[in-house]
Amino acid sequence: MSAAWLGRRLIMTLAMAWVVATIVFLALHMVPGDPAELLLSTSGAMPDPATVQELREKLGLDRPILVQYGHFLAGLARGDLGASLIDDYPVIQEIGLRLPRTLELILAGTLIALLVGVPSGVYAAVHRGGAFDRVASWITALLLAVPVFVVGTLLVLLLAQTLRLMPAGGFVPITQDPAQHFKLLALPAIAIAKGLAAVLFRMTRAATLDALAHDYVRTARAKGASPKRVLVVHVLRNALNPVVTVLGLQMGTLLGGTVLVEYVFNWPGLSTPLLRAVEGRDYPMVVGIILTISVLFLLINLLVELLHAAIDPRVQHG
Amino acid sequence: MTISRRSVLGAGLAGPLLASPFLIRPASAQRAAGIIRYGLSAFPPNLQPWVSTGASAGTVKMLINRSLVSYDSKGELRGELAESWSRDAEGAWVFKLRKGCVFHNGEPVTADDVKWSIEQIAGEKSTAYMRTQFQLIEKIEISDPQTVRLVTKGPQATLPSWFANYNTFIIWRKSNPNEPIGAGPFRLVGQERGTSVELAAFDKFYKPGIPKAKGIKFIVYADENLRNAALISGDVDMIEYVPWQSMAAVEADPRLKLDNQEGPFMDVLFNGSKPPFNDPRVRRAVAHAVKREDIVKVAFFGRGKPLEGVPIVEGTPWYDKELAHGWNYDPAKAKALLTEAGHANGFQTTLLATAQFGMHKDTAEIVQQYLAAIGIQAELQLPDWSTRVSRGTRGQYDMAIHGVSSDNNDPDGLTVVLDTSLSPTHGRSFKVEAPRTVAALAKGRAEFDQAKRVEIYKEMQRAALEEVPMVGLAWRQQGYGMDKSVQGFTNLPGALSTSSGNQLEETYFG
Repeated sequence: MSAAWLGRRLIMTLAMAWVVATIVFLALHMVPGDPAELLLSTSGAMPDPATVQELREKLGLDRPILVQYGHFLAGLARGDLGASLIDDYPVIQEIGLRLPRTLELILAGTLIALLVGVPSGVYAAVHRGGAFDRVASWITALLLAVPVFVVGTLLVLLLAQTLRLMPAGGFVPITQDPAQHFKLLALPAIAIAKGLAAVLFRMTRAATLDALAHDYVRTARAKGASPKRVLVVHVLRNALNPVVTVLGLQMGTLLGGTVLVEYVFNWPGLSTPLLRAVEGRDYPMVVGIILTISVLFLLINLLVELLHAAIDPRVQHG
Repeated sequence: MTISRRSVLGAGLAGPLLASPFLIRPASAQRAAGIIRYGLSAFPPNLQPWVSTGASAGTVKMLINRSLVSYDSKGELRGELAESWSRDAEGAWVFKLRKGCVFHNGEPVTADDVKWSIEQIAGEKSTAYMRTQFQLIEKIEISDPQTVRLVTKGPQATLPSWFANYNTFIIWRKSNPNEPIGAGPFRLVGQERGTSVELAAFDKFYKPGIPKAKGIKFIVYADENLRNAALISGDVDMIEYVPWQSMAAVEADPRLKLDNQEGPFMDVLFNGSKPPFNDPRVRRAVAHAVKREDIVKVAFFGRGKPLEGVPIVEGTPWYDKELAHGWNYDPAKAKALLTEAGHANGFQTTLLATAQFGMHKDTAEIVQQYLAAIGIQAELQLPDWSTRVSRGTRGQYDMAIHGVSSDNNDPDGLTVVLDTSLSPTHGRSFKVEAPRTVAALAKGRAEFDQAKRVEIYKEMQRAALEEVPMVGLAWRQQGYGMDKSVQGFTNLPGALSTSSGNQLEETYFG
């Protein structure tokens, strides 16, 4: 692992981010829909063209697209993502407010998935063909087949509407009421975790079975190592590597999945403002949020590679 | 002064949250504290007092601001900052201001504030919703601090109702552009951006005993099913826009009640700039071709009423039973009209709607089926809402489905829907010639005698049935669902349903 490699990767990441931002910026400007007109048409209002034109001028939307793009790039170079066209709220502040909530959801979901998926995967592999293995394999197939929003809606229907055990959805800052905060976090985190847990279960099970069949396991057993030691030191160390890779690859899917889950559970992460901004053609907000998600995705990939190298000394980056 | 884009909802609002009574507590505690938790359908894009940013923003704006007049629970105009209004001998509107009204900063509401607010709305660089109407005010005279006299270009019979619109508030004239100070019964005390808005009662509001609640916490649930789930599970005390498919369940729940009104309606718009819809006979054929009951059944789960004429609410003086069914379902008549217009074998065309709102899509699909039955093969186009708006304004369609509400219950409120001589917009037919309808609307606006106005608007309906500036399809219900303990709220009749947020000042736990 050299510093040069890391530097190259970071520059690549920045270049990718710029490409993404440019594509999103241009694509958004190409689809029909005028932010000024849309804002003034909320709830079916019918604005007159003079008012719309006034607002377009105020928002700088009457300038040629290349001028707007130049303005946007200049801002980006300064680290300024601009402000929402709808209420002038700085994009960076919106992201600062909501990104932690999306990350919290992803982390909670990942944690649940790891706690459920990995141990059950190992157990199923060690007791291959047993009752647990068969039932768990069935359940994971089911979990992978059912879309995340269906699971979410069912959870709301059962736990909130019917049993009234849980709130239907929403958000309370942790500083205000920690208990309620975690109560509200539970259902969306479970909904996010379901797919990942299933994938991790399968991956762990397969990797463990693979490792168990290796010669070094037989050698370790022959040398009289306890079954526990064999499993932890010899099997899991080798089995975890592909699991980490899958975890990294799944993060992108997870980011996508949060959009639906946040909507279903009214969890105010990044997806609500993103959807609202796309609907209202709020260019700066859309570009800012997509840019954030892309950079996040790229950084997660980088992190996975680093972890990979840490776990498996054979992996070399140079 | 021009209000900048940064709204009150922006950084300018210091919500002393920790000191507020809103720390999340169990429902019973919130209720004991007299705080109503209300499920809002959208987070207000901004709370600028004069710019239209939708009905959800309007609900909040009506509670933190005040205008000269507002609607009472029957939908009639009542005085607010003005205690009375009348026309003087010269035909100008004179408003007498009520004494003892103060803004949230304690400053008295004066005629100067009224004059300044009107000037801001009508200003050359204004982006206010009522800008066009307010530019008809020629002169604002202040004879004493409690009297405002408005001289208009031509007679304006409906001027007082302009001030009942939720984009027409009187703001303290020295307000900072980012923090307009109003005089409503509630103050804005906090918000969680995108999630909730919190109001607390204003203790110096001029009406004794109003507001009845100590505070309101608006919690946003954009998804209608989740909003309904929040009501059923007790997360909130009341919600707006109960989904039609859930109305029966809310009615059946012993803990809940439903308050319904028929106000908004669905209609068909035409592009009259080219054949075949530049011919009123073809538009009339469309009007007679659709069986409306199916739309009510499928799109609104039976929660609505067929609309076979111009959207005039039944029970109002302007309603005429015969005219109301002028476009009755009559496929034979529709075919005859098509033949007369030279389309005996029908034709190919397109029908624009949006897939983003189920009711638009469902309505469009039913209209498409019935048009096919008389030989009109309409290809459905269902882009996202933003594209639908954009294409509507630019006339990039043949026929379009729309859902809208009149501005108010006076037929003049239908101008936005029927007056095709106004500038193009997504909610009006594009370049359809309807000169007699337009002339009748103008005549009604300039007439003060009620009996004459009734006649004029019946004439307007007769003209519209022939000229077909749009085709009415179905009234749809708007429902507020609430806990049985919530008292004092009224869903306003007809087109005013979306202005019912005003009634939250009267709402309390019984």
